[in-house]
Amino acid sequence: MAYIAVTSAALLTVLLLVPQLFGTFTAYQIGLFLIYGIVAQGIGFLWGKTGILPLGQAIFFGIAAYACAQILKNIDSLPLQIALFVVVVACLALLGFALAFIVFKGRSDSGPYFSLITLALAMICEQVAGTATNTTGGFNGIYGYPTIANLDQFNELYYVIAIVTVLSTAAISVLNTLPAGLVARAVSDNEKRMQLFGFPTHLVKGLVFGLSAAFAAVAGILFANHQGIVTPTSTGFLLSANLVIWTAVGGRNHVYGPLIGAVGIGYLSSELRGSFVYWEVIVALVFIIVVLKYPGGIAGYLVDIFCRFKKNIRSTELHLCNAPAISTSIVQPKLIFSKTKVKMGPVRILNGVDLVTPKTGIVCIIGPNGAGKTSLLNAITGNLIVSAGSVSLDNKYIHNLPTHKAFACGIARKLQVPSVFFSLTVFENIALAVIAGRARFLDFFRPSTLKWRTAELTNLLNSEAMTALVDMEKPVSALAQGHRQFLEFAMTTAVQPKVLLLDEPCAGLSPDETRMMTNLVRDFQERNNGLIILIEHDMSIVRDLADRVVVLHQGAVLFEGSYDDVRNNKSVQDVYSGGTK
Amino acid sequence: MFLKIKTTLIAATLILPAIAGSAIAGTKIGVLVPDSGPAGLFGPSTRNSATLAAEQINAAGGINGEVIELVFADVGVPPAEAAQAALKLWKGEGVKAFVGMHDSAVREALTGLFQGQVPYVYTPVYEGNACSIGLYVTGETPSQQLAQAIPFLMERETVKSWYLIGHDYNWPRDTNALAKQYIADAGGKIVGEEYLPFTVADFDSSLQKIKESGAEGVLITLVGGGSVGFNVAFAGFGLDKQAIRLGTLIEENTLAGIGADNANRLYSSAGYFSSIESDAAKAFAASYEEKFGTDAPALNTLGESAYDGVTLLAALANKAGSFDVSTIEGIAEGTSFQSPRGTSTLKGRHVNQSIYVAEGTGGTFKVVKTFDNVPSSESCSK
Amino acid sequence: MSSILLLNILWQVSILAMVTIGLGIVFGQLKIMNMAHGELVMIGAYAPVITSHLGLSGYLQLPICVATVGLTALIMERTVIRHFYGRPFDSLLATWGLSILMREIVEMIFGREYQSVSSPLPGTMSLLGTDYPIYRVVVILGVAVFFFTLLLWYRRSKVGTEIKAMVENPALAQAVGINTSRLSSVCFVFGAVSAGIAGMVLAPTTRVEPMMGLDYLIRSFFSLVVGGLGSLEGLFIGVGLIGGIQSTIGAFFNQTYGYLFVLTLSILFLWLKPNGLYRSN
Repeated sequence: MAYIAVTSAALLTVLLLVPQLFGTFTAYQIGLFLIYGIVAQGIGFLWGKTGILPLGQAIFFGIAAYACAQILKNIDSLPLQIALFVVVVACLALLGFALAFIVFKGRSDSGPYFSLITLALAMICEQVAGTATNTTGGFNGIYGYPTIANLDQFNELYYVIAIVTVLSTAAISVLNTLPAGLVARAVSDNEKRMQLFGFPTHLVKGLVFGLSAAFAAVAGILFANHQGIVTPTSTGFLLSANLVIWTAVGGRNHVYGPLIGAVGIGYLSSELRGSFVYWEVIVALVFIIVVLKYPGGIAGYLVDIFCRFKKNIRSTELHLCNAPAISTSIVQPKLIFSKTKVKMGPVRILNGVDLVTPKTGIVCIIGPNGAGKTSLLNAITGNLIVSAGSVSLDNKYIHNLPTHKAFACGIARKLQVPSVFFSLTVFENIALAVIAGRARFLDFFRPSTLKWRTAELTNLLNSEAMTALVDMEKPVSALAQGHRQFLEFAMTTAVQPKVLLLDEPCAGLSPDETRMMTNLVRDFQERNNGLIILIEHDMSIVRDLADRVVVLHQGAVLFEGSYDDVRNNKSVQDVYSGGTK
Repeated sequence: MFLKIKTTLIAATLILPAIAGSAIAGTKIGVLVPDSGPAGLFGPSTRNSATLAAEQINAAGGINGEVIELVFADVGVPPAEAAQAALKLWKGEGVKAFVGMHDSAVREALTGLFQGQVPYVYTPVYEGNACSIGLYVTGETPSQQLAQAIPFLMERETVKSWYLIGHDYNWPRDTNALAKQYIADAGGKIVGEEYLPFTVADFDSSLQKIKESGAEGVLITLVGGGSVGFNVAFAGFGLDKQAIRLGTLIEENTLAGIGADNANRLYSSAGYFSSIESDAAKAFAASYEEKFGTDAPALNTLGESAYDGVTLLAALANKAGSFDVSTIEGIAEGTSFQSPRGTSTLKGRHVNQSIYVAEGTGGTFKVVKTFDNVPSSESCSK
Repeated sequence: MSSILLLNILWQVSILAMVTIGLGIVFGQLKIMNMAHGELVMIGAYAPVITSHLGLSGYLQLPICVATVGLTALIMERTVIRHFYGRPFDSLLATWGLSILMREIVEMIFGREYQSVSSPLPGTMSLLGTDYPIYRVVVILGVAVFFFTLLLWYRRSKVGTEIKAMVENPALAQAVGINTSRLSSVCFVFGAVSAGIAGMVLAPTTRVEPMMGLDYLIRSFFSLVVGGLGSLEGLFIGVGLIGGIQSTIGAFFNQTYGYLFVLTLSILFLWLKPNGLYRSN
């Protein structure tokens, strides 16, 4: 926080010095690019953190600018004007939220399509703005309205813009340090994991898009004041495109990147466009090179250099605090599959599974490749659509619920290939797991939430198996595969699920590590006394852990019983030995 | 064709000394030209025409005894960026007056920026209704282009029914509002009116409507590439046999794009064509060719308008004895100047000027009728 | 429906299909969202300009078109595109930069002015009770033949099978000895050249200038969105809907509504049926 206060003060000083050092007219010019920079910061946060690329951000910018022009033209009272500005920003933020929320609902891979939707919307806005001459002035735009409080565009207004820029920068910087910012980053890193942790990711995307829309709207209002004219180009595709280019070149991952991009390229463009014929060529080349070689842009490059000189700036001292208890309504974690069928195109993956699990204990699922083991878990967590039959838990149907709702039913799942947040640190991974299901709305905006720990988790992390995770600031991408398995296990059990689904937790582990992992599973079961469903190939692990074994074959239950029963069963032996039925 | 690379390179090297040379004493005039964007095609001819005007003014003793120097800026960009470019010339370079050849949105942004503190001559064809202190307009207004041209063509080609087609924005709509009145006054009728988005590149459905309407005349207020595409398709359908075409922004480049094959019975009405037969126009074309070579960008009414703009500015400033807006405002009304277009006179911030109707059949414009001293019908009161 | 509207729709669908097929191949097979596709159309449209400037025979238009567009595409593929296979997002941004670059380069060579291309078959002919330009009728027939041949070739040829294999499973395709890098390259160049030829065919019927590409890009993009990818059927559904709807609404209402409707339709498809895009044959 202190760091943010210092940098914000520095930014404010620099911006306030501009008119003194370079004159009010340079400040006026810089003002325009600061306004664009504010929009670009919203884009940067959205794109850099959640991975959504908006190709039509000028929609919100332009609509706000038009609304502002109309308000200034028709309403004289300053308080009323300001109140209406707030309404405009709120409405546009809501519009952005609704758009992303609706489009992303029920799917997790439509990023490029969402971008194209925003692009098409920008084209619609520009066309309507050009055609609806009565409200927008058509091609020539709205002009001839006063600025707010009759501020001088060449003088006082710059200070307003500078202050808003500092506020927007500080807001994003603060957000980056809060759990909410971490959640946004986690969504772009591993959306499926977030859903399994119970986060409705479309809601997160909606909120972030709404926030970026609010930034664009605030900037649009400043723009209308600064320019004294609003034309269809303010809401069109070309401006949207330029904003993306500025954000990319400046650096989308850092709060100052978009500002550097907008002010730097924008200002240079206005300086050089008229005198240097090949300016556009250079901008295009730089843009291509950035996309090709330096996705982090200028800011990313600077941060890399900075980090090379100064390592590990974060203090390693952590004041951890107790996490609140997780609440669950599950009384009897008994899973019942009834004639459950899953189809993918013409292929039947689950072909009428009938299975009743005990309330507690470790149920091992075995079966040859393609038997439908992982699909069975997918049917529980809503990752696959159940076409017929049902899955119920605690006497409630849970099949075909959105994935994030499975979590609320007390189900947690560890995936076959470790599914953790690769771009985040170990600390951040653990923090997200503890936040999941425990944090209420306001907790996402308290930095202390990140330091929540449970006693059990602390014990687990101090155990022999977790030694590789001692360096909490290590990025997960630098961990070995086996260590990721342990990390994911720690994260999955941190939410204290009543039903724990483990998909081959020992895959890729050394014999030593396998021993540690089986111990961890057994310990967890003893403490938690819930239901564990474990998929495993290694029969020695099954023997060590299973209270009950279920054999799946061709999408149906072939046999069910104790370990010894299964060993001695003729049909199971046939399946495993000959591959024929 | 490959000479273009050479000319671009030369242009690039020419621009650099122009900046370096800004230390030469003299009065700076800002000339705002579209180098980029959809109107970028007209950037070079606009620059050249303004340069020629400045040379001639300097040869005749400059403005108020001082040599003038032109400083160019690219305004072929959205209004916000265009205003920035103009501001840079005004406050950064210290220009004393502006001549602008750009769209109306940029003009409104600039009048808002200048607030009448600096003289500003706006030169291209436009829809009318621009009245601000310090703003003077030399471009053709719709009434100048059409009030006499429509009745003339209706009689010449026996046209009774008209179809109006334009891009979907202010200039075509305002132009057509007046055109309807002129057509009605001349006893004709309107059989269709249509506005297209800038993004439309296929004109089939419009051509179908024109064909079905049986129109004998089509008034075209499409701009740039859209106009080229429309006219090519129009002739492709053989509609040139059914109807004449009259455009109010079909200049030499557009005609070249349409091509000789597709220009049958295509008329254009404007204040300038490179083929005007007057001595002034011929002399202008000759010195243009002498200075910029035979491969120079084609002369046209938009590019040439910058010559008128610079010339009017010189006439106003010389008459007022300074570039002070309030002084110029006092003497502006009735100021006359000579240009390749003929004699023009400032009336109500606009100019009464000669209007030419030219036929493009065969791929080059031939002036078929000249109207002198046509009033703009704009009466700015303030 | 009047016969002229029918012919107009046929024409629209034909040229849109010609323009879109390349974009579809490149997106469907390589997952490249090529924003510079319109510029390839534009470069193709300059082929007749080159022949007439250099005083060459009109029959050289096609080889020149294939050569210029093919070379451009090869350079694009080798320097930029191949780094982006399977990354639609980044490819969209990179090709966007490329499109600006290509416009600027063409402008340096030919200037910004409109180029006039004479129709090789001027005049109209009587068809279905209306006069229709001969050139357009020939083009419609030519496009139909082209697509028929393409379909046969793709179904029967070895290359067709290899492409299908590569799309299905690139690693496996590589393992069984298909040179996927070269095949991708060929795929991209083929898509580009088809766009170039579309541009060349369009040249006598429209304006030719450096900025012309954008018009075609937008419409073909939305055709893909609506129709879905990976099959010629989907392509024709898309171009049929987009071309047909815009022509029809343009004929009965006005072009602005037609344009807005096409945009709205595209948004609805992107929102509600985005899987059409990923549908493979």
